[in-house]
Amino acid sequence: MTAAAGIPARFLATVGGYAGFTWDCAAATLRHGLRTDATLREAYVIGVRSLPVLVTMAVFVGTNLSIQGHAAFRTLGAHSLVGMFVALAGVREVCPLLAGTMVAAKTGTEICAQLAVMRTKEQIDALEVMAVNPYAELIAPRLLGIVLVMPALTVLTLAAAIASATAVAVWQLDVNPGEFRDYVFDNIRLADVGIAVLKGVLFGAVIATVSGFFGLTSERGPEGVGRATNRAIVAICVVCVMLNYLVTAVAYR
Amino acid sequence: MPSATSLAPPSAPADPPRRRRREPSAAFHAYAYRVGAAALRPPWSAAEVVRHAYVVGYRCLLPVLVSMVPFGMVIGVQGMKILDLFGAHRLLSGLMALLVIRELAPVLTSVLVAAQAGSAFAAELGAMRLKEELDATAVMAVDPVSWHVVPRVLGMALVTPALTVLAAVGGIAGGWVVAVYGRGLPHGEFAAHTVALIGTWDLWASAVKGLVYGVTIGLVSTWRGFHSSGGAEGVGRAVNDTVVICVVSILVLNYLLSTLMFTGAGAAG
Repeated sequence: MTAAAGIPARFLATVGGYAGFTWDCAAATLRHGLRTDATLREAYVIGVRSLPVLVTMAVFVGTNLSIQGHAAFRTLGAHSLVGMFVALAGVREVCPLLAGTMVAAKTGTEICAQLAVMRTKEQIDALEVMAVNPYAELIAPRLLGIVLVMPALTVLTLAAAIASATAVAVWQLDVNPGEFRDYVFDNIRLADVGIAVLKGVLFGAVIATVSGFFGLTSERGPEGVGRATNRAIVAICVVCVMLNYLVTAVAYR
Repeated sequence: MPSATSLAPPSAPADPPRRRRREPSAAFHAYAYRVGAAALRPPWSAAEVVRHAYVVGYRCLLPVLVSMVPFGMVIGVQGMKILDLFGAHRLLSGLMALLVIRELAPVLTSVLVAAQAGSAFAAELGAMRLKEELDATAVMAVDPVSWHVVPRVLGMALVTPALTVLAAVGGIAGGWVVAVYGRGLPHGEFAAHTVALIGTWDLWASAVKGLVYGVTIGLVSTWRGFHSSGGAEGVGRAVNDTVVICVVSILVLNYLLSTLMFTGAGAAG
């Protein structure tokens, strides 16, 4: 009874805490100034560390798109539309979303675990004692670092997915390469890539702030670290999927 | 007496190999073999299997539905827009059901199960390793793999196919809301064509994918947690590794399974 009644209350408390957290972050960054060197370092670390996993993932997303598009359109006798399917489904929806999920899995859990470990070891209290604002010092560089690299990561994901989709379509499924290329590039507009990049940036901002929030508010001890990371990744996934729907509903009305 | 002295010498040289056998399963294949062997030799608790299955299902159901329904709505929005070009609205529900059941529901469900339950398993076992609870279990002559790992893997294997099916229903429902109430597609047209392109085989394929990914997530997450080391950071690293390895292996397996199931000579599609 109390547990069931507690769930909405706890949910609202978490949402309110998150809102307060982002506000504190913005205010602290404005007041204390931005650590440019730390931001660039985070951007480099995040971009370089996520890239191999991201490209691996993108390659297999592309192959799956090709196979499913081919299987779906074969029943209608329109194999060649697989290029259109790859271009539309991949560029508009699947690639940005999975790039966000992958960066959340790799970088988001890392940020959350780092901050939760710092909380456990009382390093964050130590920062506050030294009059260093933990938001300006720890969160803002990570947030801006992710936002800086997400456009590049999204575009590379799109490129890798389309390349692997082409490879599978041409070599495994015997689609005419010229036809496939025409269908792909006729159906990608610059605006689609722009919206994909916008989605990537939004997901990046969600990843940094949500994992920062759960990391800084974690309970102490190893269980606390594990639980904070778990909550962060689930919250990020769910928020990203919903955000994806909102952006799509507005952009492709 | 002679028998005792003849037994004593072999036990001394046999000690180092036995100590090496303490951590025999650091590599994934060795670990998977160990878990599989423990699962086939059944002193493990069925009640624990049910408990873990319940926890996984209970914890994952809401995230899975909350992300699959918007994804179905996205397909509704994009699909209506694209099929408008061909004047072929009636294909929407059929194509959507095909994609959701064959591909999106298994992949999205298992990514979320990995994020929610897989990372929880890794964190739990990592904390148990850190607090030497796993060693304590072994000292009490209970195999930690049969007691802590096998029920988790089996519970996840039981629940992931069921979640996949529910996710497929949720995704199609999301598309239905957008297409029928948002874009004015007649309800009967949507309903009649939903099952036009799918067969029984597709439902089986979807559940089999869910089963394979469930086993994979269960094995990977308990593997990283069981062999974690190095304090609270180690637990964080185990969770991080679990999610990354799970997502990548799900996508790779999905490619292989889709190729096997849907492009072979015997494919029903």
